[in-house]
Amino acid sequence: MMENNKRPLKVALHGMNGRTIKTMMLFLQGPCEGAANVVVNAEDADVDVFDGDSPGSKNLLEQHIQKKNLKPVIVFSLQDFVQEGVLSLIKPIKTSDMLKVLELAKTMVAEHSKKAVDGAIPPMPQTGTEEPRLQLDESEKPGLKTAKHQTAMRLDEKSFNEFIGVIEDIDAKSPKQFINDAHYNPKDYYQGFIQSALAIAQEKGQVLLLESDWWPITLFPRTQEVWLEASDVELKGFAGIQLNRKTKTADLFLTPVDPETLGIGGALDKFQSMDAFLWKLACWTSRGRYPHDIDFKLPIYLKNWPNFTRLVITPHALRISALLIQGPRTMTNVAQALNIKPQYVFVFVSAAYAVGLVGQARRAEDVLVQAPDIEPSKGKRLLGRIMSKLRGN
Amino acid sequence: MSQYKIIFTGPVGAGKTTAINSISDVPPIKTDASASDMAKARKAATTVAMDYGIMNLEGGEKIHLYGTPGQERFDFMWDILVTGGIGLILLLDNTRADPFTDMRFFLDAFKKFIAETNVAIGVTQMDRSNKPTIADYHAQLQVSDLKPPVFAVDARAKDDISLLVQSLLYSLDPGLAE
Repeated sequence: MMENNKRPLKVALHGMNGRTIKTMMLFLQGPCEGAANVVVNAEDADVDVFDGDSPGSKNLLEQHIQKKNLKPVIVFSLQDFVQEGVLSLIKPIKTSDMLKVLELAKTMVAEHSKKAVDGAIPPMPQTGTEEPRLQLDESEKPGLKTAKHQTAMRLDEKSFNEFIGVIEDIDAKSPKQFINDAHYNPKDYYQGFIQSALAIAQEKGQVLLLESDWWPITLFPRTQEVWLEASDVELKGFAGIQLNRKTKTADLFLTPVDPETLGIGGALDKFQSMDAFLWKLACWTSRGRYPHDIDFKLPIYLKNWPNFTRLVITPHALRISALLIQGPRTMTNVAQALNIKPQYVFVFVSAAYAVGLVGQARRAEDVLVQAPDIEPSKGKRLLGRIMSKLRGN
Repeated sequence: MSQYKIIFTGPVGAGKTTAINSISDVPPIKTDASASDMAKARKAATTVAMDYGIMNLEGGEKIHLYGTPGQERFDFMWDILVTGGIGLILLLDNTRADPFTDMRFFLDAFKKFIAETNVAIGVTQMDRSNKPTIADYHAQLQVSDLKPPVFAVDARAKDDISLLVQSLLYSLDPGLAE
């Protein structure tokens, strides 16, 4: 191992897809013997690395150079890339060349730091003392860390429509609409792939990386977490896209991640609990529809209350839970009993079904008798006023 | 005027005092003293009588928030405390040696009150210890034939405690309007 790998360089990769990033991680950890680690946030890096050939990357590189960033820049290119202050490497990259250029970059970083101490130039951003970075093998040790605490986001009907996007109105008394327009198949969306991948990760008890044309996502079955760099806005946009058959089979890769050989830099705030992630993903995929595996004519049951303090709370979700936990009902019946739009029941059912909390009641007795009306409590007025106080109305 | 109460219970250090503080409209009245028995290992000071807070409702009505003393030697007070109570909030500390035993103990101690009203369970300290999980608590509850809300809560977070109390109220009457 290189003697000076006690503090490996931190490199940010720009303009590379998920598979290239993975290859680079393996290359740096394997043949390059850990001379550098890949970090997710560019501001945490000592060095910026660009692919000089792809059009998107060229633009990024030009913008980066114009900013006159003080960090060393390495460019991989099929041809000689000549630019003042830029270190270049010809593709295909040889290990010895990579190590040499990393040594040069390390010297540049050290010289820059020395000049900064002397006051000759402004200091570069510190990279050694920021938020803790995660190593994959450590993350799977129970109790070492947990996903960043996220308090529930509660949505009223107006903010919910902004959160979900425009949803078609569905007439509660029109079963034909329920059949034709109000259901969706999660397998046609990103949600389906994530659920399949999670099931495999759980079954194998293995950390898995799901790669596609979109952001890669890492699944941690033991800690029940996922790591995804994409923002919620990006996730919401992607969740609603129906993926075609070709994409499903050709462009998605699920690969095991070996904690012994692969260490990635990952911001802790990018970790999310699996349930919270799947819950919101299902909300954005559903957009007011119910999963097509559920027969709307049959009752559904709620296995137990969702952990609402850590989930997106859709409109009327607490009331729906309180009602369904008492016994099975059809989705139509829930909407009628609570006097709410069916879409609010559908989106709740979609999210709860995705995390395994809702199921179809198939016992003869569940179908035989219509669910009873809600019995008003004796202190309804008082409870309503307490509720109003708690909700700040 | 009637005395309406919500009761907060749970073992020593589960966050009852903090939870009441989170939603009380007045600084809660505490009756802490130096811990002198088994509580000493977990807290320097502990509640030896009860905590008390108030939620002021529109129209001048008040909801009294009572926290039971965590130590079992004060359990003679619990029956008196729950009289006229609307429902029970049970807080459990996930870092304790056996939180399931704690849960069973308190559910059993307040069995009659729960049967007459309802209960919602908040699990604290899950950021420090994520095992057992919320699903594990639900699995344990299956034998008790109860299906209460069980939420991970930070007792300092008003939103968490508010949601827990709301779930208790909806459990009592799902027909309550939002």
